[in-house]
Amino acid sequence: MPCAVTAVTTVSAPAIGRDPAVATVVIALWALLLLFVVYPLFTLLGRVLFDHGAFTTAGIAAILTDRHQVRAFWNSLLLALLVGTGGTIIGFVFAFTAARSRLPRWLLTLIDAAVLLPLVSPPFTTAIAMIFSFGPRGLITYELLGLKGVTVYGLVSTLSSEILTYFPIAYLTLRPLLGAIDSNLEGMALSLGASRWRVFRTVTLPLCIPGLANAFLLLFAASLADFATPLILAGNNFPVLPTQAYLQITGLFDLRGGAALSFMLLVPALGVFLLQRYWVSRRFYVTVTGKGAGQTPFDSISPAVRVTLLAACALVAATILYFYALLLYASLVQALGANHALTLRHYRVIFTEGLRVIRDTLIIAGLAMPLGGLYGILLGYLVARKPFVGRRTMELVSMVNYALPGTIVGIAYLIAFNDPPIELTGTALIIVACYVFRYGATGIRATVAMLQQIDKSLEEASQGLGAGSGTTFRRVTLPLILPAFFTGLGVVFIRSMTAISATIFLVSISWTLITVRILENITELSLGPAAAYSVLVVVIVFVVIALIGRGLRWFRAPGVIPVTSMFGG
Amino acid sequence: MAIETIGVQVDGVSKRFSHRVKGEIYAARDVHLDVAPGEFLTLLGPSGCGKTTTLRMIAGFEHPDAGSIRLGGQDVTGLPANQRNIGFVFQNYALFPHLSVFDNVAYGLQVRGQAAAVIAKSVGDVLALVGLSGYEHQFSGQLSGGEQQRVALARAIVIRPRVLLFDEPLSNLDAKLRVQMRTEIRDLQRSLAITTIYVTHDQEEAMAVSDRIAVMSQGSVVQEGTAEDLYYRPASEFVATFVGRVNLVPGTLIERSGDTVTVAALGTTVRAGTGHSAVAPGAAVKLVMRPEVLELVEVGAGDFRADVISCTFLGEKTEYLLRCGDVELQCVRHNAGAVGAIQEGSPVGVRVAASAVTVLPEAAR
Repeated sequence: MPCAVTAVTTVSAPAIGRDPAVATVVIALWALLLLFVVYPLFTLLGRVLFDHGAFTTAGIAAILTDRHQVRAFWNSLLLALLVGTGGTIIGFVFAFTAARSRLPRWLLTLIDAAVLLPLVSPPFTTAIAMIFSFGPRGLITYELLGLKGVTVYGLVSTLSSEILTYFPIAYLTLRPLLGAIDSNLEGMALSLGASRWRVFRTVTLPLCIPGLANAFLLLFAASLADFATPLILAGNNFPVLPTQAYLQITGLFDLRGGAALSFMLLVPALGVFLLQRYWVSRRFYVTVTGKGAGQTPFDSISPAVRVTLLAACALVAATILYFYALLLYASLVQALGANHALTLRHYRVIFTEGLRVIRDTLIIAGLAMPLGGLYGILLGYLVARKPFVGRRTMELVSMVNYALPGTIVGIAYLIAFNDPPIELTGTALIIVACYVFRYGATGIRATVAMLQQIDKSLEEASQGLGAGSGTTFRRVTLPLILPAFFTGLGVVFIRSMTAISATIFLVSISWTLITVRILENITELSLGPAAAYSVLVVVIVFVVIALIGRGLRWFRAPGVIPVTSMFGG
Repeated sequence: MAIETIGVQVDGVSKRFSHRVKGEIYAARDVHLDVAPGEFLTLLGPSGCGKTTTLRMIAGFEHPDAGSIRLGGQDVTGLPANQRNIGFVFQNYALFPHLSVFDNVAYGLQVRGQAAAVIAKSVGDVLALVGLSGYEHQFSGQLSGGEQQRVALARAIVIRPRVLLFDEPLSNLDAKLRVQMRTEIRDLQRSLAITTIYVTHDQEEAMAVSDRIAVMSQGSVVQEGTAEDLYYRPASEFVATFVGRVNLVPGTLIERSGDTVTVAALGTTVRAGTGHSAVAPGAAVKLVMRPEVLELVEVGAGDFRADVISCTFLGEKTEYLLRCGDVELQCVRHNAGAVGAIQEGSPVGVRVAASAVTVLPEAAR
């Protein structure tokens, strides 16, 4: 009889004092979080709001009076709004089609694969493909349609590219939600005489609203933070904040101005984060447990609608596949749009003069992966299971670098670790730390979610049989949350291979990254090597995902809850 | 399998929780228990009475805000669960899903650093004891509820715990298996002579397994005793109504002589035992009459007359609802052969088996 356990927390002294192992880890994690999350952020704020020890709003005022920068601010919000809306709609169409139109298994797998591609690619892969297709010498605009003087740069191309890149996030949040809706509810409405459309409008859609809001906010945040796509596609007439901050720092060497611009970005980003965390996430009608609803879904769509939905999904999926095929093709020809003779020249380039970049990236990703995985699982375990003072605060702080746009995090790191006392600029460590504390958050969330499904009595049983907290963690908890650990490993690795927004501020002569090199190639208009690098990254990421999947199957003991997705939520 | 037999003393233990709605509440309040070596004590009570919290404090999963807990004279109040050497059987069994039956049972021995050969022998022995030889390589997902229960039991006793604790171990089993398992638990406990504390909300289960029962309500132990003691001599209305079915009949105490009293009730006088109460003549009391102490006889015979409002045939027994004045009485008679000719609406005589009736003071809620 767990009489007092539900909705109840103990009043008595927290257990931390009783367990020296837990206390040590908690103190160590706090020290790391203070150093790599709190300290950089406060340094950034200090740089924006204080000048020689005196409080000042001059930096912000300078931006607010600069019409170009104000425009960038509103452009950022507009773009995020449109990406959020468009991406959520496409994600919902995909999720609804996958959940309700009784697709054969192979087709579902194909959809999943097409949707996965943008998530495991460097963020500007679709942007490059857009240029290849619709640029001045684009395959479609120039070669196919014979149009001349077309400009691809601007809102429309940036928007399309970001929607294609980010709608999979909406798909992955909405699909389990749709799957978890008790189809008896819809069947009931149908049996009461409602038409299919009415059932959708009055039952299915309302149940999805919190999920849609959640997806919208995730996409809004992703677009707000996106730095690479606008840098390539937005052009001069559509400035947005992250790129402005980047140009302010790298072009004008104005660290304070860049910091102030990123501060402008901080306000809406934090707002979205808090809204998502404290408002939307508490309004779900449908609980996604990981178990299927178990009933056969009723015939919720008519054949005509089914065909329409499938066609829409096929169109989007085909576009994605076309973009990636194009990227592969571009990496294998002399110069796309000019000379289509097949060559391995670009690969030769990246494996000779580019080899060091590849090596650097792999070393950094290889370091960040285990550290980030370990960090995620330890912190997730502690905040989910151990009662200690400030554990909610710890969880919140651990999400900050993840929730904030990479530009802010990058600039904050740059300012914080550029000078003594902690001088890390130019080292691999600063990049590794950035990845660990930014992308380890996924592992934390996966761990917490898994632990919520694992009854506490399992750990108590171990304890009662004489095992200490270390042994219990190693022999009982860890094997059961191993899928979350592998998720953490996977995400940290993928992001270490593909991210750019934060780390572009942190690369140096000694340590640089493939993504940064791709960007340099694009600005130098050597698109062949850029395409080759992109293909290489996608291939490496797929290989590592496959290896992690295999490792998971190898290590996974029977009875362990399977992990749903590496990217969900 | 020799197990060191020790007693358990729970001394003035309290535990507070903060509740989202109710504020600070006591899950356990000044609980005293004294369990003799080898004794089987059951904590019985409704949901939220503090029995599980008390058990978990004895195990070391919760820590009391006040009071002390001693095992075999040793104060373990500040000792973590993994140093108490206690066997705990959880309501949901808490079998490690990633380990086989063998590894589940072996876990506690491996933690203690025993040699592999010793472990194999002990696990084999204990699995034989619970009737699961041959199940070593199964996983918990492949076992039935009863089998999982046995593995949980084996895992708890293989470490030769000083005390065995059960937290509603049978609540996830179907009714038939529950009866079978409680007999097995009882037999095992007797043969191992291991001090046992058992938590349940099922009074029949409590009576079936226990040497002694402690009834809890709102965080406190309200009465301790044997099943018979609680049933026939409850100290309060709560215990009277929680343990079995009961008629509580208001009356006035007329006379007291030794262990028996005479009470004016039901328009007549009824003799009863004093039970645990010390009431003086003239006091308002309640008679504690179990349904089966009322015997139905011919009108005119017996102690008083009543009307039959309803009778329900239930196979082995028939239940009657009687009315005497403005008092309704439940009555249960076992059917030994053909059912008598008692009709709904007809009057009957009622005889009371005085030795099985006790009184409660009016105030003893």
